[in-house]
Amino acid sequence: MPERLNNNHKRSAVFLDLGILEYQRALELQLEHVQLKLDDKEAADQILLVEHPAVYTLGKRGGRENLVVSEDFLSAKKIDVIQTDRGGNITFHGPGQAVLYPIIDLERAKIGVKDFVYGLEEIMKSTVAEFDLKANRDHRNHGLWVGNKKIGSVGISVKKGICFHGLALNVTTNLTPFSWINPCGLSQVAMTSIKNELESMEDISIKKVKTILIRYFSEVFNYSIKENEPSYQN
Amino acid sequence: MKEIDDLNLPDDLKYTEDHEWAKSEGDLVTVGLNDYAQDQLGEIVFVEVPEVGDTFSQGDEFGSVESVKAVSEMYIPISGEVVEVNEGLEDAPELVNQECYGGGWVIKVKPDDPLEMDKLLDKAAYLDMLKG
Repeated sequence: MPERLNNNHKRSAVFLDLGILEYQRALELQLEHVQLKLDDKEAADQILLVEHPAVYTLGKRGGRENLVVSEDFLSAKKIDVIQTDRGGNITFHGPGQAVLYPIIDLERAKIGVKDFVYGLEEIMKSTVAEFDLKANRDHRNHGLWVGNKKIGSVGISVKKGICFHGLALNVTTNLTPFSWINPCGLSQVAMTSIKNELESMEDISIKKVKTILIRYFSEVFNYSIKENEPSYQN
Repeated sequence: MKEIDDLNLPDDLKYTEDHEWAKSEGDLVTVGLNDYAQDQLGEIVFVEVPEVGDTFSQGDEFGSVESVKAVSEMYIPISGEVVEVNEGLEDAPELVNQECYGGGWVIKVKPDDPLEMDKLLDKAAYLDMLKG
């Protein structure tokens, strides 16, 4: 059983699976939802699920120095590097990675930032456990680790108590692009994925992983979550 | 997170709904994050402060803090000009956690209108907001 945060009242949220969507467009959607919630405190909490085409993103404090290949090399590979305002350092997003963006009024939900990040790690930990993988937190860095290898990352922003950005869990992600950076600003860190850790070569459905993530989000943060009608066609 | 009754909220400070504190000292107002903010943010690893000379209106974002992979904005309690920033936070951002009303102060502001302080919450009103 995942560890549930100490919250007594049940909250509700809607989720939307965006499928595969460019990072920049997904960020715009998040900011639209943040603005909706700033304008109307009663607006529903939203959870966006997405996979991004290959892209590197930098944290608010940067991380470009942790690129270990030239930007020309990345241009040739057609991988953009995008500055963001989330916490953390450089990371890679690509197909086969389940990304979850909660746009939640933490203030209203009475969830502290520290507890929220801990909860996001708990959701990933419970999700990979469904594949019989034992993962843990590590003192070196937030996120989720299988042994010495990092399988999931977190990075959020908080504006007037409303969070955005979120977590990224490697399911079948091509891990090679992680070797072109020092992930999270840490050198000598290897990344892994659920597929990489499983000895069986059977395919893993990212749709299934997204469903499990939502289920554990619901459990850990005590949310009732229903699927939103897709209003956005990508 | 701390229980509300365990929070350290000095009686002589004013508070914002976004969990900053403000204290009038002579012509200036000192601003920082309060005990609720520092506790729920977790270990603070970076504080982004404005430049001296920057001007803001009450409620504007004036900087941010990074903790546990989270960047959270800070909002200024009073309109005015920043006349001093706490440069010690560059090397020791943890001061915001360790002594949020002392060495962890963030900026000093020369207010445009000192009466704006009256719009801020006193301890009792702030506690009511937290409990509400």
